[in-house]
Formats: sequence, C-alpha cells, structure tokens
Amino acid sequence: MKITDASVRPYPAGDSTLARMAVEAAELGFDSVVAIGEGAPPVGGAAVLRGAVISGASPKEVIKQVREPAAQHADVVFVNAGDIAFNRAVVSIKEVQVLRNIHAARKNAFDHVAARSAAQRGLAVDISLAPLIQYRGTKRQRALQQYEDILLLHRRYGFLLTISSGACSILEQRSVREIRGLCALFGMTGAEVNEALASVGRIVEPDQPVRVVG
Amino acid sequence: MRPRPPAMRTKRRYILARILPYGATPDQKDVYLSVVEAATSLFGDAAVGLAQPAVVFCDGGYAVIRCRRGTEKDIATALATVTAIGVCRAALRAVAVSGTIHALKRRVRPIRPLSGDGEMTIEGRCFTMYRYPRQKVDLVEKSIKHQKLLFFTEPDLEER
Repeated sequence: MKITDASVRPYPAGDSTLARMAVEAAELGFDSVVAIGEGAPPVGGAAVLRGAVISGASPKEVIKQVREPAAQHADVVFVNAGDIAFNRAVVSIKEVQVLRNIHAARKNAFDHVAARSAAQRGLAVDISLAPLIQYRGTKRQRALQQYEDILLLHRRYGFLLTISSGACSILEQRSVREIRGLCALFGMTGAEVNEALASVGRIVEPDQPVRVVG
Repeated sequence: MRPRPPAMRTKRRYILARILPYGATPDQKDVYLSVVEAATSLFGDAAVGLAQPAVVFCDGGYAVIRCRRGTEKDIATALATVTAIGVCRAALRAVAVSGTIHALKRRVRPIRPLSGDGEMTIEGRCFTMYRYPRQKVDLVEKSIKHQKLLFFTEPDLEER
C-alpha cells in the first residue's frame, strides 16, 4: 500500500522545487506524490508521479484535451469539477481518472448518479486539504459541507477517494497524522483516510485478473 | 496565594511543534496569537476557551503549546491550519505530545544551517543561500520588506 499525496504544484507554480517537496513528503510519511505538470524523478525522497489537470468548459473539450500528449503521458489525469451535467458526463470518459476541485463546484454538483458511474468506472474524487488549511469562515464551512456530502456518497456507492494537499510550497504540505486530524473534521475515519491515501496506487496500477504467462 | 493540591489541578498536555521555515525565530506572543486564531476559527470560542491553549516555550525552531488534557488532538489539528506567524508565512508541524515539558525537550533536534552559505541570483533577484541537512537549501531574498523564500535542494542548484 503506497501512501500518496494526490497533488502538489512545485516550482515555478510554487516556491519549492519538486525534489525538495519529494524530500519533505518522505519525511512527512508519504511514499509518493503526484506533481501537476512535472515528472522528472528526483534523486531522493518520495517517488514522483506525473499528473495532468484538465479544465474544460464542456465534456467535448475535456475529450479533446485528454487526447493531447500532456495528458497521454501523465500517470494520473485530473479534471476540474463543474456543474451537475458536466460531472455526470465527465465521469463516463474513459481517460479521466480523478475528479478534483469538488469544493469549488456548486452544492450537489456531484450527485448519486455521478457517484454510481464513478464507482462502476473506478474513477476517484479528490479531497483537497487546501481549503481546510488556507480558507477561513464561510468558505471553509462550505468546503466541509461538500466533503461530508462526498463522504456520504462514498460510503453508499463505494467509489474511490483521493486526498491531496494541493501544496505549492513545503509550508503547505502536511503529515499523514495531520491529514487524519483534518479529515476527522468532516467525519472521515482513520481507516477511510488510509484507504483514500492508497487510492492513487490503485488508480495507477489497477487490479487485473491473473494472466497465465508462458 | 497557596497553590491548589495536585489532585485538584487541571490536567495538562504539551504539544511540541516544529516551526517552518528553518531559521525562523518568531516572537512567542505571535505564535500564541496564530495558534489561538487558527483554533478559534476552526472550533469556535467555546471549545478554545475550554482547551486553554498557551505557548509556554518558543526557541530553536520549536514551540511547546500547552492545552487541557483531552483537547490535544483538536489543538494539534488547529496547528495544521496555521499558515502565518505575524506577517511571515510559516507552518507549525506537531512532532510529539506529552504530559511534561521535560519529555518534549528530549525530542527537540535543533536544525542549524551547515557551512557554505552563499548568494545566487534567480530571475533577477538576489538570494542568500542557507544549507541544511539532507541537501536542503533555503533561499532568502535580499530585501528589507516582503522577502521572498524559495525552497530548493543541492541537485536543483547544480542544474542551474
């Protein structure tokens, strides 16, 4: 079971290089990190996976973007969540692996229909800790409500969850223990957090039937 | 005033937190204000009032936060939401929890910069380099106000 931070944004998007973030991630208890837009493996520290984020206004645009080389070469393909129709359409696109930015979408934008499709397709929904860490007041309250709703659907339909720090700096990275504390704010148990942290490994290397070789 | 007998005193817990970035020396009062602001915005006045958080020690890149027994998990969670101390960007990483300050001070491992500091220019800005163990290099912009911080490693610098 690989413990993975599902998204970090290294330098030049942030102030910390990928190698430094990988070293910090290893110290914080992670086995790997998904770097958005980066992929060069650092020498020491946690393993690095390449992530690609797609933000399209319509499902057609998403289909077009997932066929571009940047998305084709990525280990994990993320799509930013949109409205209810967009999310329902996006979860059925084969190349999309994770639906992210769900806290920024409207309430109930990810509903039971999308949840059922996501569970059937093995698509994951990302829980970003950045709103819980960075935001204050009503914005954070709304994010907590959204995450509680997602957790309810996850328990009912069994789709995958991933947890990401969304860190642009080593100052925004959090340890596994701190993540457990933050996720407990919206009712996630320790076992669910462990499972969610291991989900990226399951997305990258999905369970397949045993093949007889030779 | 005579102190209360031990059995009637409030039970306390102490949280050891590492202050990031390395080399930051924030004022103890600023750390307290950051912790209380983070905890109050997360759990509200009533919960924080009962938890009685206080910063009892702040030196050498570490802070010790005192709270009532039973609230240490909540306060540790609140520490994870600290993003600034005073006007500087910072983070507090909970390292250990104990019933005595003495036990926590044994866990303190001071992180001092290694020799070989220097200067370098990135995107037209002049930075001072501070090297730390595990090939970490912190770059602090040479400026009076709003110093930019960059976090690199030795291999990153060699590539430049």
